[in-house]
Amino acid sequence: MNINDLNNSKVPLVQIDPALNEYAGQVLFPEKVAKANEVLKKVGLPKKATTRPNEAA
Amino acid sequence: MKLPRYATKADELQTTFEFVSEGPRGRIPKLVQFSETNLKDFYNLAFGDKNPETGALDDLSVSNNGDSEKVLATVVDAVYAFCYRRPEAWVFAMGSTPARTRLYQMGLNRFYAQVVEDFDLYGLQGEEWHPFQPALSYDAFVVQLKHPLI
Repeated sequence: MNINDLNNSKVPLVQIDPALNEYAGQVLFPEKVAKANEVLKKVGLPKKATTRPNEAA
Repeated sequence: MKLPRYATKADELQTTFEFVSEGPRGRIPKLVQFSETNLKDFYNLAFGDKNPETGALDDLSVSNNGDSEKVLATVVDAVYAFCYRRPEAWVFAMGSTPARTRLYQMGLNRFYAQVVEDFDLYGLQGEEWHPFQPALSYDAFVVQLKHPLI
């Protein structure tokens, strides 16, 4: 990747901060995830979706 | 021309992103997190303010820091960064309150031209998903990359 590729990339540059690893595996907004699961259970996915149940769920 | 956005930091897995809003009300750290749901490849997007003293998170606060467009652009950046590493991911977003959902809608409306080039967008109305249209109101949103990003 050259400088032009970098300038034109839609992928933002993100600095990795190991201090944020403390959040790995933590759900910071559990009520939001619960709500998402509730919606998914009730409504499902848009027709295009082809995901399969998460084995861990 | 790219709109202004904040510099962003992330954990090594790039599931949690942090940036600092700067405005008349001071410097306000914000966190964006993508969390797994009960469906494989389906993630919930949430973001809120981080209290710099206590570390407590608040997804109901309204900072009024005069930079909402820059904040939204930064959240969109986080979605791009997250999906770059997970091109199969679906990202679900629903506000904590109707006002916050409207904020998400404003963001999608504002960045629609850019986002629709790269993502399939759907909005939830009642109990049905529909292809997202900027003029309509939705209860929740979901996006997935159309193609891998370069």
